[in-house]
Amino acid sequence: PCRAQPKKKKKVDVKKEQAQKERMKKKIKKLEKAAPELIPIEDFITPLKYSESNRVRSLPALSPEESEKRVLLLKKWCLFKQKQDEAEKKAIKALVESQQEALKELRLESEELYEAAIRRDEGLFPFERDGPSYTPPLPGYDPPEGKCIDITKVYTQ
Amino acid sequence: DALLGCHRSYRSRPTHGIGKFKYLLPKEVPKKRKEKVQMKEISAGTEYQYGDVNIQMTSYDLCLVEHFAQYVHRLCNRLSIRVNESYAMPTKTNEVLFLEERGSKMQLDAVLTTHQRVVQIRGLSSTFAPILLEIIQSNQPEGVHLLVKQHTEADFKSRLKSRPELEELLAQMS
Repeated sequence: PCRAQPKKKKKVDVKKEQAQKERMKKKIKKLEKAAPELIPIEDFITPLKYSESNRVRSLPALSPEESEKRVLLLKKWCLFKQKQDEAEKKAIKALVESQQEALKELRLESEELYEAAIRRDEGLFPFERDGPSYTPPLPGYDPPEGKCIDITKVYTQ
Repeated sequence: DALLGCHRSYRSRPTHGIGKFKYLLPKEVPKKRKEKVQMKEISAGTEYQYGDVNIQMTSYDLCLVEHFAQYVHRLCNRLSIRVNESYAMPTKTNEVLFLEERGSKMQLDAVLTTHQRVVQIRGLSSTFAPILLEIIQSNQPEGVHLLVKQHTEADFKSRLKSRPELEELLAQMS
């Protein structure tokens, strides 16, 4: 009587544990088989309310002078943008050329410094910069108290 | 019966292949199987070249961020820098509440959406990197926050959906 009880406990426990572990392993294998999915991006999904409505805007007819003016304005803008783009390309070329010249001179000066200059800079990344703002923050402004709640939808697979 | 049932046309005879018609039909494109989203290898880069670099642009304004990302992509194409991927990170929505002057109730001020675009490049040479940064900075639009960093596995995993069941089971196992 005293012997039988502990023996039963050991056998049944071990078997149950093994069966549980196998079941968990099978579940994990099944879940791992399914490939991970990318989170869908809400920017690229147009909300339904913009596609269902029947409102169509009717624009007034343009007079020929007006359309002439617009075409000429477009041409001027194209020219302006082209000049801007070419100036940028020129600036890039000038930068690269001056850099190459500087490196040539450095090489003539000393090989060691040249080698050190060519190497990649580990301190460059990560690089962060905030864009310029239309209105910089006022110095003596006291903002009202408040809080921000993150309500992004969490997708689970 | 015997005449109708006989489909044989010898290869030497001129009647060979007389019944064929499939070559006349338009070609069917084989069904595209869903490609598994796998992580591409992250290159570490040599001493004179950076490996995979992520240029991340964040802003509240969708159009600005989108156009800036397109500009950066075209710039890299023009400067013959290899662009691995150009993707969008999921948008984050924030609700801004502020405390009313008289009263303890929080009032809803606005709902802001933060958009992020990433352009991944490879093989950036160490001499050209500062020039590229200079150009991107000079063309940075208002309100767009720029972040340039190296690509890591964690960055890739942040794009994937979380699997709480799998993680629970793995935690239980170990």
